Amino acid sequence: MLDRFGEAISVVLGALALAYLVYEIDRRKRRLRDLFHVLGSEEADISGELLSMVESGELQPYSREARA
Amino acid sequence: MVIELPARPRKAARRKYKPPADPRFRIFIIDSGWNAVARRVLRHNFALIRRLHREELIYLLSRKKSVEFIGRHRSLIGRDPIIAVHDLKAMGGRGTAAFHGFHLHLGILRTPRQALVALQTFAHFVGTHRHSRNLEVDIRTGLRREGMLGSVEILLHKVPRALGV
Repeated sequence: MLDRFGEAISVVLGALALAYLVYEIDRRKRRLRDLFHVLGSEEADISGELLSMVESGELQPYSREARA
Repeated sequence: MVIELPARPRKAARRKYKPPADPRFRIFIIDSGWNAVARRVLRHNFALIRRLHREELIYLLSRKKSVEFIGRHRSLIGRDPIIAVHDLKAMGGRGTAAFHGFHLHLGILRTPRQALVALQTFAHFVGTHRHSRNLEVDIRTGLRREGMLGSVEILLHKVPRALGV
């Protein structure tokens, strides 16, 4: 009886450890993809506005001289 | 006999800024200032970015402009300081309709060390990939590799600790 109970506990703990492992790996992958976010068509409006700020002259390129 | 050394001529007015002739990237820095930790790391280590300005175009949005910009693009809330990198080579072909660069969202990081490592990784990546044939593939390969390294790290450190080894 005790053996079966011990086995069951081991299986449950093993499953929990595996689930945690999968969760942690997935969490880190998502975090990494959020940190280095690749730009595609979904971000076209964000990039388009930055582009138009450059084209209109609202933003000027950074230069050390200008900052000095 | 006394020889007078010519007085060191004062440096003439600083040379006028010439934009890089053949930039690969356009880099924008957007920072509303809400994340004090990441903001401080970015300011203190701005030399990492400044170093790129001879070859790439860098644009700094003021705090006010950044707040307004993020207000118009709410998906960016909580992610700034953001370093937006536009790949001019990719944009030359398809504009912004497909892959056209990447964002570094420093604002999602909480510790100075995390922010500094991310900034260093970014500066290294941009500095070494300006001649990349396919930046998208390079970024995705890098992310996959980092993901696998992260998994290995978890397997090596967290699992033994969880198992009490």
